[in-house]
Amino acid sequence: MQEAIPYKSYSTTTATAVGSRSPLLNFLGGGGGVVANGSESNIRKLVEEKAVVVFGRRGCCMCHVVMRLLLGHGVNPVVCEVEEGKEEAAIGELSRIDGGGDDDGGGGGGIQLPAVFVGGKMFGGLDRVMSTHISGELVPVLKDAGALWL
Amino acid sequence: MDFPSTQFVPSRMMGTYEPIHQIGMWGENFKSIGNPSISASVIVEVDNKLENESETASHEMPVPSCKHDQEASKPFDKIQRRLAQNREAARKSRLRKKAYVQQLESSRLKLIQLEKELEQAREQGLYIGGGLEAGHLGFSGVVNPGIAAFEMEYKHWMQVQNRQLGELRTALNAQISDIELRIVVENGMSHYFELFRMKSTVAKADVFYVMSGTWKTSAERFFSWIGGFRPSELLKVLVAQLDPLTDQQIFEVCNLKQSCQQAEDALSQGMEKLQETVSATLAAGQLGQGTYFPQVAMAMEKLEALVCFVNQADHLRQETLQQMSHILTTRQAARGLLALGEYIQRLQDLSTLWATHPREPA
Repeated sequence: MQEAIPYKSYSTTTATAVGSRSPLLNFLGGGGGVVANGSESNIRKLVEEKAVVVFGRRGCCMCHVVMRLLLGHGVNPVVCEVEEGKEEAAIGELSRIDGGGDDDGGGGGGIQLPAVFVGGKMFGGLDRVMSTHISGELVPVLKDAGALWL
Repeated sequence: MDFPSTQFVPSRMMGTYEPIHQIGMWGENFKSIGNPSISASVIVEVDNKLENESETASHEMPVPSCKHDQEASKPFDKIQRRLAQNREAARKSRLRKKAYVQQLESSRLKLIQLEKELEQAREQGLYIGGGLEAGHLGFSGVVNPGIAAFEMEYKHWMQVQNRQLGELRTALNAQISDIELRIVVENGMSHYFELFRMKSTVAKADVFYVMSGTWKTSAERFFSWIGGFRPSELLKVLVAQLDPLTDQQIFEVCNLKQSCQQAEDALSQGMEKLQETVSATLAAGQLGQGTYFPQVAMAMEKLEALVCFVNQADHLRQETLQQMSHILTTRQAARGLLALGEYIQRLQDLSTLWATHPREPA
């Protein structure tokens, strides 16, 4: 049984330069492209197809921070907004997709928004993005997932 | 009858305020005048000596004494007396209430003034060298137990910090083994991580307290960024002290500087976005209508994100410290910790100097 979960997904426009704000503003203003209605299979497909997907609440400032960090690396993440009040459903959804393969998120209900999927697998939240960014581990992971070219 | 006692209750309750003394005196005056309606003893006498009507007549009772109709007039007398007593009691009560309200008003004004003075004193740097005055401690205890606990812990933290800096100095000057030095370095690192844990706890109690940096000295506050130092600033100070570095180390430190700066920028932009969001939420709808609670409640929800920001900023500080300790040798790490500690001490001394520096009167 598939539930239609109210997701909206956008593709950001190509990041022009490190620190450029315009792609992000487009996203926030809803000016970027595709609005898809998210059923579970759609989301699963999205996560598998796109190198980097970020799930976050609408207008969440921490999501904004994650986006800035990823854009700074030259990554083009797809952002999936979770509607207000549907966070628990979304988190359950994401845990199922993750399938418990990656324990870094704390397993099951340990997923918190914003949540980043890299290469089809759950990568973590802002905490993990921050620490891997500082330690230098983030770039190789992104490259492996095909999100980055030299 | 309890009139004599009740007229003195106000003065016991309210201490030394003049209005109450007036009440007391006013009560006394009545006694000396011998107003029959409050002079219970007189009334009791009259009750007891009804046979003796000449005595009844000699007091200034408003009740007419009738020699022949004593039985019939007795209840009427009693009623009249009771009514008169009630009137007098009510009057006294009103006067007491008025005096009490006056006393409350003046207390309130005094309290406001005291609070202002306290605030000013705090601004002007009651904090010397990062320590906190005991008086301030008591005040905070009333305000928020989480804050009071943090301030006590922080005071202790600074003492341990200073002791550890001394140990580092000694260890670097003596020729101890790398393994022993490593232990000293690990202790220093753990100590900083302990501070981040403490901050995380008090941020849940009052995030604005952490953001304001009240617990730090004024010069430290000058450099404040999301509740603490900018990691990139501290890196700059550190790196200058760490010559000579190998080429590999220079490369890695450069990368760290850049990553740190990027992370700071991302967090700063997130903070800006939070400000915009809170401002927009608060200003939603018409300003000026007078009813605005929903906007304020919603804005408060948005503001909760501030706790996340403080935690993430401290997380960044911790990760940066960790990464530095991976890049550096044990000896370099020890020198780095010592340099960092002394830099902060100099900032605290600057605050003290500033506070005690003579200034022109306003």
